[in-house]
Amino acid sequence: MQEVLSVQGVSKSYPGVVALRDVSFRLGRGEIRALCGENGAGKSTLVKILMGIVQPDSGSIALNRQIQVVREPRQAQAAGLGLVAQELSLAPHLSILDNIWLGSAEVPFLHRRAKFRMRAQQALAMLGLADWDLDRPVSSLTIGQGQLIEIARLLARDARVLILDEPTATLSDADIERILGILKSLRAQGRSILYITHRLGEVFELCDSVTVLRNGQHVATEPVNQVTREHLVEQMLGRSFEDMYPKAAARSDDGVRVVVEGLSVPDALHGFSMVAPRGRIVCIAGQIGSGANMVTRALAGLVPSASGKVTVDGRPISLGSVPHCVARNVLFVSDDRAAEGLFPQMTVLDNLVATRLDACARMGVLSWPRLRRLAASIAERVGVDRHRLTSQSITLSGGNQQKLLFGRALAGARAGVLLMNEPTRGIDVGARAEIYRIMRELCDLGSALIMTSSDLEEIVGIADIVITLYRGRLIGRYEADEIVMSSILADITHPTQAIA
Amino acid sequence: MTERSSGRADSAVAAVATDPLRARFHRARVFSWMQAVGIVALLAVTLGTPGFLAGPSILSLLTTVSFIGCVAIGMTLITISGNIMSFALGATVGATAMVFILASNWLGFGPGLLVGLLFGSLLTGLQGLLIGWVRANPIIVSIAALALIYGVAQAFAEKGTIYAEAGTVPASVKGKIAGVPIEFIVFLLATFIAQFILSATRFGRNLFMVGSSFRAAEAVGVSTWRTVTGAYVWAGFFTSLSGIMLAIRYDSANMDYGVAYDYDAIAAVLVGGTAIGGGDGSALRTFAGGMVIAAVQVMLLLRGLRQEWQYLAAGLIVLAVIILQARGSGR
Repeated sequence: MQEVLSVQGVSKSYPGVVALRDVSFRLGRGEIRALCGENGAGKSTLVKILMGIVQPDSGSIALNRQIQVVREPRQAQAAGLGLVAQELSLAPHLSILDNIWLGSAEVPFLHRRAKFRMRAQQALAMLGLADWDLDRPVSSLTIGQGQLIEIARLLARDARVLILDEPTATLSDADIERILGILKSLRAQGRSILYITHRLGEVFELCDSVTVLRNGQHVATEPVNQVTREHLVEQMLGRSFEDMYPKAAARSDDGVRVVVEGLSVPDALHGFSMVAPRGRIVCIAGQIGSGANMVTRALAGLVPSASGKVTVDGRPISLGSVPHCVARNVLFVSDDRAAEGLFPQMTVLDNLVATRLDACARMGVLSWPRLRRLAASIAERVGVDRHRLTSQSITLSGGNQQKLLFGRALAGARAGVLLMNEPTRGIDVGARAEIYRIMRELCDLGSALIMTSSDLEEIVGIADIVITLYRGRLIGRYEADEIVMSSILADITHPTQAIA
Repeated sequence: MTERSSGRADSAVAAVATDPLRARFHRARVFSWMQAVGIVALLAVTLGTPGFLAGPSILSLLTTVSFIGCVAIGMTLITISGNIMSFALGATVGATAMVFILASNWLGFGPGLLVGLLFGSLLTGLQGLLIGWVRANPIIVSIAALALIYGVAQAFAEKGTIYAEAGTVPASVKGKIAGVPIEFIVFLLATFIAQFILSATRFGRNLFMVGSSFRAAEAVGVSTWRTVTGAYVWAGFFTSLSGIMLAIRYDSANMDYGVAYDYDAIAAVLVGGTAIGGGDGSALRTFAGGMVIAAVQVMLLLRGLRQEWQYLAAGLIVLAVIILQARGSGR
């Protein structure tokens, strides 16, 4: 295969950290390469070096066998490299046309020229979107469609090597299918793709080969058809796959903890009913828009318009009041850490005790020693370093931030109900294993866990009971050996029962 | 240039990812060095000003700073709650002064004091309710309140100034205790009360949470509207202290009393290092910020510079602090 991109012995250190150590690999023409590794493995640094955002300490980058000195993003662009970053970088109020040419080095000061319009049109046509109106504002598009515009942007600049950083993290399955299809067609045109993802399913479905980084070092580059899932995880983690998903302890007293009857949210959820036993993990599976995350949000008291009957240990809880739910030990871990989870400027300690202030206060006055003791004990349970208690929570890594939110929801030693949306989204494999361990510990205490997830592998790995949803309606319920990927996937994408 | 600065930002980010304490320490050190140099320079100029250390100007400094300081303490709570600032606190000072004089003339000093405090707290608390419950924009609400307060005051007090009847205000609340102006003692007390509320009460902790992330606060079960309203009630309380002290000092009240106090107060809050975005800050730091600003103003006055120069100096200090804050937090 003709070599397009070659990375030779690239190293990069930051004060106190080695981000990349002597990393080398080659990418061929028309090849889709997965780039895998835990958070902090060096993937982002590598991307930044390729795009000229960061300069390597040593090593070289060659495109088409010519050594390139990429000192700034414009040079990377000119050399034929293009990046679709994790977060969309679109200007919502500008048109599709303007967004496609946004930041392009070619565009002169005034760019309303027929030539640019035509090339933008061609780029869209390559993605099978020839019928889209170039003058439509980007704000009218969905996230998935926005992602396509980002890819069109790279095609309009004729990028030969496309770097995609977790492009599917926030997309629904239908959008993911579409993106994957488009990427395959780009491969057929001879373009090369560096595909960064946490989702192993996509590695096997889409990619030709996979490069694994761990602690800034290149571990292996192999053809995808010669590796197994387990092998890949072991390479990323440096430990075995079996440790990933701990199973439920066998127990006979599976009493009922949560009963939901006729839970409805206008336009989102219609008459949903379920039972969550003690010590078990119930996973509600569904695509974006299926209403799965509405179940957990409503149970957490975050949806004022929710109606229905919910009892916890036989006592009814009133929907729509978070303080009430918190008082009854029904706690929620949001999937949106940045906006709905963390108190960024506050210390780790303050974050950990946020739901337990009542227990540490008398007449509204807080007891500092009690707060410190509580925070220290929670930190120990979820595996957050005690010495970090006084640092600002924003300085923690994503995985540690998530542990913090779990710690907050642990609710002391009492068993309760834990509601989680996408508990491991954007978290590396190592921290995920930790989160699963904490979830099982809670089960052992007798808590009921209800979670949503769009990661099928995770659902099959961790759930004791799976409930599938499609467009706000319950489709199926699976337990133990009935939990298999194919039936869940079928339920959440083409629910034959619902149509019949 | 672009590439170098982004490289620097990246190294900071990467260092944070692995060793947050050290990275923060490093940034904080640069930040605090610049701050320390600035403060030492200011102090040198200030102390070197002829007549600054003489009794009268120190005393006038302590008194001036107290009026603005109490407003700044109130403003601190609003800023921490994530609502940036209120433009209505200056008007509240004037209005409270008038209500206090009217109530004292009618009911006597003690009840007048109570009515004044209650008036200021409720007036500002009502704005808090609009902001916390209706989720109205805090800046717009405060500007509307400012206009309303001036409008209503104009209708009530046509002559502009209203005077306390002779003997209404006891002489014992004017003057000094152990050589310290009573106003300054009130300011100190207000600072400590506010600091206690912020760091030792449940309400204070809720306030930081709401200011740090409104939605996260909602998700952990904090009653956000009560917290925001509470912040404004306290802000009104501390602000009305300032109005009452002015009225006592001059035996009269006028809507001009609190003019521009909002700006001096927010300057003190920012110089003290409270984050303008909310979720971080302290009353003690606002106290220090107020002292710095007042010292500069007295110094400029002593050096014979006119009012305009004082505004300019306050503006420059705030600007410098905001730039330092932005760099210090790596944003």
